[in-house]
Amino acid sequence: MKLKIAHLYPDLLNLYGDIGNITTVTKRCKWRGIDIETDSIYGNEKIHFTDYDLVFLGGGSDREQLLVRDKLMSMKNEITSYVNDGGVLLAVCGGYQLLGSYYKLKEETIKGLEILNIQTEIGDKRLIGDVVIENEKFGTIVGFENHGGRTFINDHTPLGKVLHGHGNNDKDGVEGVIYKNVIATYLHGSLLPKNPVLCDHIIRLMLEQRGLDTELAPLDDASELDAHKYIVDRFTK
Amino acid sequence: MRKILAVWAAKLAIAGSKLLGKNGSSTPGTIALKICPDILTRLSGDIKKDIVAVWGTNGKTTTNNMILTILENQGSTVVCNKVGSNMLSGVVAAFINYATLSGKVNADYACLEMDEAYARIILKYITPTKIVITNLFRDQMDRYGEIDTTIKYIQEALGKAEDSLLVLNGDDPLTASLGTSHKNTVYYGISENLGLNLNETREGRYCRMCGSELKYDFYQYGQLGKYRCEKCGFKRPVPQYDGSKITSEDYVSFDVKGAHVDLPCKGIYNIYNALAAYAFADSCGIPQEKIVEGLQKYKGQSGRMEEFTIKNKLVVFNLAKNPASFNRSISNVLAEKRTKDVVIGINDNDPDGNDVSWLWDVDFEQLSDPSVISCTTTGIRAKDMTVRLKYCDIPPDKITTESRVKEAVMNAVNGSGERVYIVVNYTLLFSTKKILQELEEEYK
Repeated sequence: MKLKIAHLYPDLLNLYGDIGNITTVTKRCKWRGIDIETDSIYGNEKIHFTDYDLVFLGGGSDREQLLVRDKLMSMKNEITSYVNDGGVLLAVCGGYQLLGSYYKLKEETIKGLEILNIQTEIGDKRLIGDVVIENEKFGTIVGFENHGGRTFINDHTPLGKVLHGHGNNDKDGVEGVIYKNVIATYLHGSLLPKNPVLCDHIIRLMLEQRGLDTELAPLDDASELDAHKYIVDRFTK
Repeated sequence: MRKILAVWAAKLAIAGSKLLGKNGSSTPGTIALKICPDILTRLSGDIKKDIVAVWGTNGKTTTNNMILTILENQGSTVVCNKVGSNMLSGVVAAFINYATLSGKVNADYACLEMDEAYARIILKYITPTKIVITNLFRDQMDRYGEIDTTIKYIQEALGKAEDSLLVLNGDDPLTASLGTSHKNTVYYGISENLGLNLNETREGRYCRMCGSELKYDFYQYGQLGKYRCEKCGFKRPVPQYDGSKITSEDYVSFDVKGAHVDLPCKGIYNIYNALAAYAFADSCGIPQEKIVEGLQKYKGQSGRMEEFTIKNKLVVFNLAKNPASFNRSISNVLAEKRTKDVVIGINDNDPDGNDVSWLWDVDFEQLSDPSVISCTTTGIRAKDMTVRLKYCDIPPDKITTESRVKEAVMNAVNGSGERVYIVVNYTLLFSTKKILQELEEEYK
């Protein structure tokens, strides 16, 4: 029994330490004796989404994001069924924006995958800085945001309430989206290393989708929680 | 009159900050700019020969200082922002420093390291006759947004310098692409495969001309290598200045244009810096033997593989600012076969970049090598660095988190390794160097 991660276009979407998320999921599985491997998906290969337990979509520069959008649009139906069937998807920054209906830039509007009913519009200034959010189930989540787009999530459930930072659009005080088994967020940092609770939640979802035991052996998370606490204390106390 | 007043006020500020023992060298420039906004245009007009600007993510300071050494070695007088203050105020301060009290700058050359994002502002006041671009890597992303923005800024600056000679690193597709629309360009590079084989992030693998994927015969490091675009035909230019017969035993050496150069420093990337300086000097008509002599006299700058001795142990100190230069530094650590204790210092102040996610792009996994006895993390983001090392499968008992730099250094010095390697990012440079000097003195 081996879990499989699809890392989509790591050559194009590789801003802001995205690889750290893959590293963290992988190590936390291996340390517990859970077999796991990652396929890096490049170029124009067809992706068999049903082969995977986690799909990861990171962020890239505007130009590279556009290239990725074109590739993904050709697989729109497959990704949509993957999500509707409970497939686990983690999307960060540019990947988050691509899941919505559109991303409106100054001169053009880029259509998205329409998996989430969210809309993004470019703003005047990039929203940059450390972020602390709070989620009822996971507690605080820390990260770093750097985005020009303002995302409006309508009736979706956010990933958390903003305690420090800008969040989705610097207006409504929330960050990210949780929808079915999709976690979409602007937070990198990387996201998962300093948020082991969230990482383990993702691993449990992956196991659950496979019909496996979701009980995870405890790990010594002292350093992760120490680094997490440092950010929470520095920006919210 | 305004110019003279500005020069006086700024000189006074320089004297003042020296009295206070500060390293900061841009405040006097800020004062001069307030009094006389076009001070740079006025002062730089006096330069007799060339004004060279050095841009690029890594190697700016080194390249600029190699150029300075070559020029001074052949007897020229030079205005230079030596300490790495590379925004507008720092460039102004360099001229003020050199100016007489009557506001005259009596120099043959100016060699000016400039922050790539600020060059478009600096070039409003000054037009370099020559521009050297070393490479373009991801750096301080939270300030620039992303590498495309940096390139846009550079293109804007180049628009103000259409007649300048561009000296470009042809091995870097991002840098080389800037030459395609510029009329007066020379390239330097290394045509032989160095065979470094690093596992790292590659920044610009996509053709800037048409967006399709570049094909590589080989990589040197990062996205540097022998590349071509099969769609639009953009490819690595044949360098006019081609480094060959590269050796890197302890110090590096290479041949260029039939001459042999022994550099008094370590690190393969210094060959690129030296080739850039060589190409610039050659374009000025400086005789080959003088260029080689100058390069061989180059003395490394603060935090570029500087050596200290503490408690009879050799301590090697290096600055690294971004994933590319961290990967270089880590490779240098591992090129040393003796056992060692390693210190890694990470700050997140504005000049460092507030975002530390790039730590996950660096191949720190190399540090799990058995020759690394221990790792001590320090600086404001020591805890982030500890987590990063944990996920390299380095055993927890080999990792110490110590945010205080002096204690971190001593922890490594007291380790059982034969040597100590210290790698820190930008705002830890001066404070760490001072601590190392003090410790060296204390244990003499």
